[in-house]
Amino acid sequence: MSDTELARKSLTELSALLRAKALSSVELVEIFLKRIQKIDPSLHSYITVCADEALRSARQADEARTSGAPNGLLHGIPVAIKDQMHMQGVRTTAGSFLDSFPSEDSTVVARLKSAGAIILGKLNLSEFAFGGNIGHPFGTPRNPWDTNHQPGHSSSGSGIAVAASLCTAAIGEDTGGSIRIPAAWCGITGLRPTWGRVSRYGIQPISWSMDQAGPMARSVEDCAQVFQAISGHDLKDPSTSHYPVLPFTPKPDLRGIRIGIIKESLDNDLVHSEVRAAVEKAANVMEEIGATVSDISLPILEKAGVVSAAITDADGAFVHRHWLRNRSSEYDSVTRRRLLAGSLMPSQLLQKAQRFRVLIRRQIILAFQNVDILLSPTQPTAAAKLETTSGLDSKDAVLQKFAGPRGATAPFNLSAVPAISIPCGFTSAGLPIGLQLASRPFDELTLFQTGHSYQQHTSWHNRHPSL
Amino acid sequence: MKDLTSNEVRTQALALGLEILEEDLAEVAFRLNALSETLAALEHPDLDTVEYRAVFDTPEY
Repeated sequence: MSDTELARKSLTELSALLRAKALSSVELVEIFLKRIQKIDPSLHSYITVCADEALRSARQADEARTSGAPNGLLHGIPVAIKDQMHMQGVRTTAGSFLDSFPSEDSTVVARLKSAGAIILGKLNLSEFAFGGNIGHPFGTPRNPWDTNHQPGHSSSGSGIAVAASLCTAAIGEDTGGSIRIPAAWCGITGLRPTWGRVSRYGIQPISWSMDQAGPMARSVEDCAQVFQAISGHDLKDPSTSHYPVLPFTPKPDLRGIRIGIIKESLDNDLVHSEVRAAVEKAANVMEEIGATVSDISLPILEKAGVVSAAITDADGAFVHRHWLRNRSSEYDSVTRRRLLAGSLMPSQLLQKAQRFRVLIRRQIILAFQNVDILLSPTQPTAAAKLETTSGLDSKDAVLQKFAGPRGATAPFNLSAVPAISIPCGFTSAGLPIGLQLASRPFDELTLFQTGHSYQQHTSWHNRHPSL
Repeated sequence: MKDLTSNEVRTQALALGLEILEEDLAEVAFRLNALSETLAALEHPDLDTVEYRAVFDTPEY
């Protein structure tokens, strides 16, 4: 088996090879390190590669396996994390001027290590995980399917590294779509869990009530395994839930699952015809394998983009208030302008946005009385071309932005329900298309079962960019 | 709703101790005016009675 074939194997497949001693963790880590060295200079997915530490951990994993110590599926598997999360002794940049060396692991990193995963390094992202910045201090992240296109933000490096097989799985963070958008545009699977499922301890914040870390991998099954390792209550983050995290159990088909296609997400001028066709075809596949599929109207979701922008930008402005005064010139101009506008938001309008958030949640929760899954395109288009300016040269341009990328994903952040993006096709230009599924709060299991069953009947997730 | 001028935006920022660079001023004003206009236009029959919750840590079903 070639190194490329091994690098492209799923977490479950690699785990089986490691257990069978057909492969060692050291060999696996060396394969990934070589690939990163060879391929990443043109993609810019990594900010920091922890080669020595990864090899040391791999040797320990191999020794533990030889000694017969009990280990789980993640044991000895190379993963990478968005550089928004603290890792003891390793620089955290948040894709920005930040330059800190944490003395402690974030809970996500601690749990990955405790599950035996090997952390290859820290991944590129939009400045402070906001998205839209033009300058990238650690190199412009590029889409592995076409390097003239964006990978999606803000977990750009996580999307690229998984798609390009520069790690087996990655951790992203999603405040308004930052896991699902790069997952869709890079052709991989990415879960934004229910708010409160994954500890935020040791993660550079954006908007505390919507930030949530989650897994990104090439299949739903792999995401489910990583989710299992990182989720659950954490004493260091009192907002984490005690709701039980159920183990992933596959379903052979979708009998008994009711799926609602969000009408407004497809009957929409912003949606590209190839995206619409791919999403409709995916719904047909789900129907063929037993799901009941119907249309559902959720008109209030059209307001989600602006409501999300108001809350996120105001929260972000507060987080950054000191740096905005003292280090303003060190921000990329797009981030700085966004945070300045967020700082000036009238309080009465922010109150209105918060009330609308509850109304959006209410409409989504009511919908779940009739369906188990809400289905929509993750994004109205495939990956956009790389930008050289913000393009926000008028009020209308800004208004357009509220309805665009964030409008498709933000309803589920605002509602604090889980949502996953899975590959469902490609455009004629060869760019991936993502399908978004959302479910009831704390019901990630139904998302995994539905997505996994779909992936057993399709092969979009098995395609790889030619690198 | 009337748009704020660049000068009004700059003055509001100064009241918070924030300085806005000349090169940033137009885009900050576009962003603020767009957000304000869109939010001001949002209406819903339950807007006055719904109570805002920052987090939803228990499912209501």
